[in-house]
Amino acid sequence: MTHPPAVFEWLLSAALARDDRVEMVVGDLHEEFATRAARDGRGRASCWYAAQALTLAVWLPAARRARVHAAAESRRSGDRFMRNSWRDVRSAVRALRKRRGLTAIVTLTLALGLGANAAIFNLIDRLVLRPYPLKDPDAVVLLSETGPRLQYKKEAVSPANFFDWRAHATKLIFLSADAWWDANLVDGGQPERVAGFQVTSGFFEALGAQTALGRTFVRDDETFGRHHVVILSDALWKRRFDADRSVVGRTIVVDGEPHVVIGVMPPRFSFPEGSEIWSPIAFDPQMPPRRDLRYFTVIGHLRPGASLEDAQSEMSVLAARLARDYPDANRDHGVRVFTLLSGMLDEGTGPLLALWQTSALVVLLIACANIANLLLARATERRREIAVRIALGASRFRIVRELLTESALLALVAVPPALGFAWLSLRALRVSMPANILRFVPGFESLGPDFRLVGFTIALAVLTACVFGLIPALQAATSEVAETLKEGGRTATGRQLLRRAIVVAEMSIALPLLVAAGLGVLGTYRFVYGPQGYEPDGVLTMKLVLPERTYPDEPSRRQFMARAVAGLRGIGGVEQAAGVNNMPTSGSNSSRTIEIDGHPAPDPRQLPSVDFRTATPEYFSLLRIPIQRGRAFTDADRQDGAPVVIVSESMARTYWPTEDPIGRRIRAPNGPWLTVVGICGDVIHDWFNRRNTPAMYRPYVQSPGDSFCLLIRTPADPASIAPDARRALLAVDPAQPVFEMMTMRQALKERTIGLRYLAAVMSVFAGIALVLATVGLYAVIAYLMSQRRHEIGVRIALGASRRDVVRLTTGQTLRLTLVGTAIGLALSIALSRLMEAGMIGVATGDIRIFLGFSVFLIGAALVAGYLPARRAAAIDPMVALRVE
Amino acid sequence: MTEPYLGEFEQTVLLAILRVGDDAYAIPILDQIHEHTGRRVARGALYTALDRLEAKGCLRSRVGEPLAERGGRARRYYTVTPGALRALKQARASLLRLWRGLEARLDSKS
Repeated sequence: MTHPPAVFEWLLSAALARDDRVEMVVGDLHEEFATRAARDGRGRASCWYAAQALTLAVWLPAARRARVHAAAESRRSGDRFMRNSWRDVRSAVRALRKRRGLTAIVTLTLALGLGANAAIFNLIDRLVLRPYPLKDPDAVVLLSETGPRLQYKKEAVSPANFFDWRAHATKLIFLSADAWWDANLVDGGQPERVAGFQVTSGFFEALGAQTALGRTFVRDDETFGRHHVVILSDALWKRRFDADRSVVGRTIVVDGEPHVVIGVMPPRFSFPEGSEIWSPIAFDPQMPPRRDLRYFTVIGHLRPGASLEDAQSEMSVLAARLARDYPDANRDHGVRVFTLLSGMLDEGTGPLLALWQTSALVVLLIACANIANLLLARATERRREIAVRIALGASRFRIVRELLTESALLALVAVPPALGFAWLSLRALRVSMPANILRFVPGFESLGPDFRLVGFTIALAVLTACVFGLIPALQAATSEVAETLKEGGRTATGRQLLRRAIVVAEMSIALPLLVAAGLGVLGTYRFVYGPQGYEPDGVLTMKLVLPERTYPDEPSRRQFMARAVAGLRGIGGVEQAAGVNNMPTSGSNSSRTIEIDGHPAPDPRQLPSVDFRTATPEYFSLLRIPIQRGRAFTDADRQDGAPVVIVSESMARTYWPTEDPIGRRIRAPNGPWLTVVGICGDVIHDWFNRRNTPAMYRPYVQSPGDSFCLLIRTPADPASIAPDARRALLAVDPAQPVFEMMTMRQALKERTIGLRYLAAVMSVFAGIALVLATVGLYAVIAYLMSQRRHEIGVRIALGASRRDVVRLTTGQTLRLTLVGTAIGLALSIALSRLMEAGMIGVATGDIRIFLGFSVFLIGAALVAGYLPARRAAAIDPMVALRVE
Repeated sequence: MTEPYLGEFEQTVLLAILRVGDDAYAIPILDQIHEHTGRRVARGALYTALDRLEAKGCLRSRVGEPLAERGGRARRYYTVTPGALRALKQARASLLRLWRGLEARLDSKS
């Protein structure tokens, strides 16, 4: 049964605790919530409920009080606390209205701090805590093989092992597997490559998902020959089939073969990894499932009543038996069962978001410090008023409560702008994330404000109010009444110490944020614009995967490549065209184990492995990869000619340190010998883990693969050639989709998107922190100056020059700033160590960044301190002294 | 005996309660008002009006049985008192008197 959000129900019940209508009101809302949840969905109903509950919690007590008041009856009953609170709220509203400027500054400051936190909270909530819309997330499990050579938490499972698991598991139901299958879809319009997965029956059931139309897969769909059926995602159905409900039962062409559509999934279901089409896994009886090839991802659902431990121990017994029965493939292999949520989480996401949330909290802390400072200044102004009230008999508790109410009100006023700010930032994040990356970040699609976010922000606002409101409130209430009244309230040394401490703290936590942002930006810049070993400008790239049905053998692929390259080169304005199996930045890679002629490996089971590329002749000159010795490939390197290879500089250095590699031979184990004909420069294939690794290049014609990238070099804007390129390839094969068509520069940028996100978010935080910290410093210096007006007046009257006055106050600013910067530097070094450990090769502690930002911060602080100092120096001594 | 004066919204609420009948509680009352006037009345306004009308003696309420669909809470049903009924009739009569003779003019203008 749907239950309204407990927080708000509790809130409303509490607000109406003394009201005889509480049962009616809460009940009515409950009843209507159920109706709305059934009609509009739980999310919208919850929002509605929250709005209603908040309104009523304020409205009903206020309206009744007004009525009772107006009736002027003497039966005023108890409820003093509520009445007093109400009076506090009203007097707080009055106080805040009187000081609009202060209120606006505080609200804005808080909105920034709260908004940043709200945005990051939403990221964590949607990406880490609830990335999948699962009904029962704790019961959905992921199974991984473990073994001596398997190092990751999540490892693939071999098909034969999976089928044995499925046959014998009793603690798990809907045990099912999925395997990567990006499909080429041709149906009337342009061919398209669609992200897809092959799955076994039970896959959707394990996740608790149902089709919106049609049915899911059953065991019979896994029978070879009857397996040409597909299920479409909602997005694909709407995009390519105009949301036509009669699509179920229709035959469409996928990977060159007719498939019958049997179902359509509901919106937002795209598991795993943004899949848009699913088909059943079926094995040709001629090619039974293998036990030594691992490529299944296996999920399941705990049988009701069974625990994760039950499932693990049962599966361990099963795996031990399989290891005994099939020692060749399974020796020392086991299985691990964990929840899908912990299994699918990208291991880098958690720490990254933790870093962000910490930064956001730091920003909020600085905001709190500023506000506390402002309120302190205000409390000082009100000291007399408060002292008088205490002298006249107001309790200190009452005063504290009143001031806290004021703070809480300030914080709550900041909630709507904070949510607006968070919404804008999340939108910016979503818009800037390219779709082909989006698909691998489960939960990213669903970023956006929701009821949990509102709750979080309100809770954080209240907490914040306690932090920044309590210090001034207590200060105000504990001051010595008699003293205050006597001296007229000029100085209070303790309080000034506190304010200085606050400023120092602000400076010292703003600096690490600045440094972190600087390191991120510098690292990103180096990645994208630093030397790559090739020339990425002026190049358009695209990817293709030839379906096995249409291009079953090497001659057909060779022919396609030759015609594609010729077609691309024929486009007006194109200088060169080439193909390669894995281009730099493509994110994919291949490697081969090799034997080196004349240098037998000490252990034949541990052959060296190098990156493996196949390229057409123009590839090197197109990307401007230098051929340092020997020659590049030419059209004379034919499939039936002598097998040749070009090695990279680092490969030459590694395997022939003292000899000339040209003319030497290498081979894959048991393959033909390949003669080295050239040495080319190293390229950075992938910034994160493939920098200058040894690589070998083969002519494409001698080793034609079915998936590759095509590249074009043009002096024009490469992006403008894209439509022509697409047309040229369609002319070669109208059913062949091309995907990820973009300029090389773009590809490079997308590869570093994570880092750029990091840098951008940190920069925003750092910017806010810097502004807040300098504003805070300004406020404190200005305040100190105003407190010393009298003293400064005397100094000037006695002959001090304006410059003396400025020097005096600047010295004060400088001292505060230096202390803050020193502490901040220490924190920055610690933080950069953490970043270095987390992101290899990115954030190397660059001394220039540390010093640069320290100087920057000190400079900003001096400016912030100079302005009030100059004003102080302009004091007319007569005026300042007369005030007395 | 003088009847209490009824504001426009109070009349609306009373009439809606009469339309719902014996089982008049907040939700159907709101529905009635929306259905017949097209206005979406804020729930707080309704509760406040109910509270005021009851204090004026125009409404009587009784508490029903706890219901599962309300999380175990009871509904509060409202009935219009005879006094309020008279007040409604008076209000209607005085309005009608004011209207008399103006129909043609107001219709032609609209």
